[in-house]
Amino acid sequence: MRVALAVASLARHRTRTALAVAGIAVASAMLLDMVMLSSGMRLSFRELLDTRGYQVRLSPKGTLPFATEATVGDAAALVAAARAQPGVAVVAPNLGAQLVAPRGDGAVTVAALGVEAGVQGDYALREGRDAAAGELVASPAALAALGRRVGDTVSLGTGWDPQLRAFRELAPRRIVGVGRFYFLGADQPVVAMPLADLQATADGARRDRISSAMVRLAPGAEPAAVARALAAALPRVSVLTTADAVAQADERVAYFRNLAFILGSVSLAVGFLLVTTLMTVSVNERIGEIAVQRALGVQARRIVQQVVAEGLALSVAGGLLGLGLGLVTARYLDAILGDFPGLPPDIAFFVFQPRDAGTAMGLLVVAGTLAGILPSWRAARLPIAATLREEAVA
Amino acid sequence: MPAHRPAFPPSSPCRRPAPRGRWRAAIGAALLGLAAAAPAAAQAPLPTIALDARLRDDAGIRLGDTIAIAATPDGPARRMVVAAFARRTADPSEVARAEYKVRLHLADLQALLAYGDRVDRFAVVTRDSGATDRVVAGINARAFGFRAHRSRDIAVETGRTFAVINRFHRAIGVITILASAIFLLCIMLLRVEERRREVATLRLIGLSRRTVVRAILVEATAIAVLGAALGTGLGWAVSQVVNRYYQGLYRTPLVFSLVTGEVVALAVALSAGLGVGAGWLAARRVVGRPPLALLGR
Repeated sequence: MRVALAVASLARHRTRTALAVAGIAVASAMLLDMVMLSSGMRLSFRELLDTRGYQVRLSPKGTLPFATEATVGDAAALVAAARAQPGVAVVAPNLGAQLVAPRGDGAVTVAALGVEAGVQGDYALREGRDAAAGELVASPAALAALGRRVGDTVSLGTGWDPQLRAFRELAPRRIVGVGRFYFLGADQPVVAMPLADLQATADGARRDRISSAMVRLAPGAEPAAVARALAAALPRVSVLTTADAVAQADERVAYFRNLAFILGSVSLAVGFLLVTTLMTVSVNERIGEIAVQRALGVQARRIVQQVVAEGLALSVAGGLLGLGLGLVTARYLDAILGDFPGLPPDIAFFVFQPRDAGTAMGLLVVAGTLAGILPSWRAARLPIAATLREEAVA
Repeated sequence: MPAHRPAFPPSSPCRRPAPRGRWRAAIGAALLGLAAAAPAAAQAPLPTIALDARLRDDAGIRLGDTIAIAATPDGPARRMVVAAFARRTADPSEVARAEYKVRLHLADLQALLAYGDRVDRFAVVTRDSGATDRVVAGINARAFGFRAHRSRDIAVETGRTFAVINRFHRAIGVITILASAIFLLCIMLLRVEERRREVATLRLIGLSRRTVVRAILVEATAIAVLGAALGTGLGWAVSQVVNRYYQGLYRTPLVFSLVTGEVVALAVALSAGLGVGAGWLAARRVVGRPPLALLGR
């Protein structure tokens, strides 16, 4: 009965109701987007790090993996020591560097990763096979930049020597596969080659050095405990669990989380104000009607419930519409942010989780309920006789 | 220290170009290598170094302290005297980067990195923009193995990140404007609906529809302009809070939110336009109904 009365009241002013629902829908779409943004990057980054099941990362002491060009020496001993630790199942060392390939009058610079093919966790093969000595796996962007295909040979050097006017250490390498690199931008030219091949470049300066290593744990091993043991056993490296890496990444993208909080709050406030205004005007318009209901014996509690139900109906209708709208706008906004240079292809800023929809709807329902309480409370407490007299005179 | 090599001035931001590439290795290593060391020997002056002011705050280092710095975490360390602290510049590309930057004399860095007599790049100051074009063309034609770029071209390339941020903010702005437009229309409709008896009376005593619409429009404009003025003040205050917060968070002098005359004009024009448009729609709706119907008869 109360719901029917609330619906009838809303249906009486269709344009107004439609506008209010549209306003709440836009606010709720924004709210959903911001809830998705606030947790999306963290979730997406965690999934990216967990892609190949490596839960711990090692990098030169004081650095984050690949955040600098720092490397650590005596890599073979380091990796062996890491592999000997209890709870460690696999260690995948890698070395990062830049290589150049002559093309036309200039040169193409590519990011190079030295990996151990059997354990590497940096890329997934899309075509061909893993690289053996003298071979490499390239990203589609690298193939495009180099103007080569699988099966071709490309000459890669370590730089340009202006005195000799020649590329340093130029050596032919055969492209044997195409890879999708998880941690580098989709538009970034990158090649992967055997670790030993890359370590042999730069006139021996990279010999037995690595940039980082990824550690996969044995089943049941606790990442934090293994990380502590690794840190104690390997003082030359920093040890980072996935949780630590996510926390550090969180600090870097604090801007987006704060923005999400601010805009989400503003959206909620707009929705709340819209419902409050509408319900206040609606109640003012129906003062006489409410006074008559009260005179007929309808309890004040029922009046409150009816008005609150109206606010709730508006919020739920707008919220449901806003969920669909929010998913569409999230996709659009994610496509914009996906253009960040160097962003790994699997990173998303807006990740939908049913929990997010529940949070957005829950907040809206609470806001809609609160928005209806004040006007309904005022209406229910009106002096019946005086109100009826005033309305009759009007 | 050689006589021709001055110490870093112990104040104000260091104006040297930001080093990159292998420089970063030194910076990463600096985080490790910095450690209190014994006072410098009097007879052999140590090279000087300028540290990131954030490092001073975080590590409690003071001017004149001696630190040990290495190119790699496990590499040989070299002792240097802290001669200056450099504040972070207002460079958007560095905002989210947490690592510290240190500045060394070129020869010291080359020695530390065993880099030989090499540099990553040169910065060239030209007399005017015409000279810039000539210099760029001349270098690219003659200096085999070098490539000259105009600073503005590099700025465009490095500004790609901020172009994305701008597009994102613009999209958020469009959604906000859409929500505001609906909100305003709703409010104006409610205001006009609330006064339907008054409008009916005005119509019944002979005022034309046009006059009533104009009266409502004047009211809508006044409300919109007042709202825009209040919004501008609120926006300015929020902008100050945003700047304070992010400057503190990222420890940068970068201005994140800038309220310019252009922005204020756009905001006021949009609010006024939306308010007047919403008022006009609401007014058209109410005067389209017969006065007696507005009175409920």
